Amino acid sequence: MLDYLRLEVRRTLRDVGFVIGGIAMPVMMYLLFTNIGANDGAWKTASMVGMAAYGAVGSALNTGGGVAEDRAIGWLRQLRVTPMTPRQVVAGRALTGSVTVLPAIVAVLTAGALVNGVRLAVWQWAALALLLWLGSLPFTLLGLGNGYRLTAQTTGVVNMVCNLGLAVLGGLWFPTALFPGWLRSVSAYTPTHRFAQLGTSVADGHAPAVGAVLVLAAWSGAFGSYAVLAYRRAGRNV
Amino acid sequence: MTKTTGTPPAVSFTGAVRTYGALRAIDGVDLEIATGETVALLGRNGAGKSTTISLLLGLNEPDEGTVELFGGPPERAVRAGRVGAMLQEARAVPRVTVRELVAFVAGRYPAPLPVARALELAGIADLAGRRVDRLSGGQTQRVRFAVALAGDPSLLVLDEPTAALDVEARHVFWTSMRAYARRGHTVLFSTHYLEEADAHADRIVVIDRGRVVADGTGEQLRRAAGGNLVSVDLAGRGTEGLGLLPGVRSVEVRGDRALLRTDDSDATVVALARLGAIRGLEVTPASLDDAFLALTAPETETV
Repeated sequence: MLDYLRLEVRRTLRDVGFVIGGIAMPVMMYLLFTNIGANDGAWKTASMVGMAAYGAVGSALNTGGGVAEDRAIGWLRQLRVTPMTPRQVVAGRALTGSVTVLPAIVAVLTAGALVNGVRLAVWQWAALALLLWLGSLPFTLLGLGNGYRLTAQTTGVVNMVCNLGLAVLGGLWFPTALFPGWLRSVSAYTPTHRFAQLGTSVADGHAPAVGAVLVLAAWSGAFGSYAVLAYRRAGRNV
Repeated sequence: MTKTTGTPPAVSFTGAVRTYGALRAIDGVDLEIATGETVALLGRNGAGKSTTISLLLGLNEPDEGTVELFGGPPERAVRAGRVGAMLQEARAVPRVTVRELVAFVAGRYPAPLPVARALELAGIADLAGRRVDRLSGGQTQRVRFAVALAGDPSLLVLDEPTAALDVEARHVFWTSMRAYARRGHTVLFSTHYLEEADAHADRIVVIDRGRVVADGTGEQLRRAAGGNLVSVDLAGRGTEGLGLLPGVRSVEVRGDRALLRTDDSDATVVALARLGAIRGLEVTPASLDDAFLALTAPETETV
């Protein structure tokens, strides 16, 4: 299965669309949003977490795009006639998702530290990267669900809508403090808001809020069930 | 049909039925392939070849009857690495090199071929470093062949392996396939090209409307379909009585000529001469094409 992970990670990193959209874009947007107009250090840190989260969500969803593509070209069907079990294939894909979120997280955090001069303790950097990495799981599951459920074209569109919609609604681009009251209450229930919250609490120097962990866990459960159902439905046809 | 005692056959279908809605794609197939045989599955488009292959690979399960590989369920043989397949609808895998792809698949099997050997057998040793999605159609097809044989499987299944190949590429492909079969492996390929089935298989299984309608060597099929074709100018007269002449199995009219398929062309010609109906007489041996058409003609099957 490690071979499968290596193969799929390699294929993902060779995808120019992924490198530009999933890694370069969040970095550029971060630098843009924090260097136009007057900005304080707090916004530079908050936006760093938000954009790293945005990049991670995009990369995680991208895994689903890969699955849809592999279904369309018959590669998943070909894998079914090798000794690999279906379970290994799905697990390998989920692992691929969790590895390919790392470049975006690392790239945005590096830009924060080196370009924007964000200063955090060593343990905070480590905890931030780790939490953003672990917290991306529900989005990988959502992407896998889309990939197994939809065709290659619709997966691309749906992933993009999920990515942009959840990013904006969750306050990854602009702080939710700017939202009207009702939208702020909606935002509190989005997985993206809670995902970024894991990071901001660490950047503020305390442990993640229980609420954030609970909401994210609930979304993981929902997206996980969606992924399993989508996979079962697709099972006959892959 | 060759039958080995003791070891179970590589492939065994017993009364296999597979339906899609109202369509009986496979309608009671019995088929046995001994280890080491090279068998062609011949049929028109939609005859049931691909369904047979997907049942055989365990991608689908029969609604009725059983399908076994090496005496067990197909899934077990596939997991044990005894099967390699080249599927029909597969396209190039993007963003990997030929060597990466073949090495990955080889690594899934318990006793694979060395990657260099697999590439050589498929005739793509010189493409090892190229990206699969940047190859021509014929090259991609050979990469898929390399993927199928990379694990050195005992049973190699090829679903229309030469569709979309030009004559040259086809020739190269069959040379590779025979080299693999010579290593003592069982090969099953499907095709709708008669000449390919005749030239490259030990045995041809003709499938039509989900049923096996003939099973044997090309020579046996030719004989089964009626030995010779006798044709004469009708010169205005009708065809009545021609079907009753000695040896004649069927009568067909093409333009102004009557075509008689016959088991005994000598007797047929003598009888025609007696009728004075030998204008433009021609006697030709039935081709495999004729045999195939006769076997799968709509009239032969009244369901």
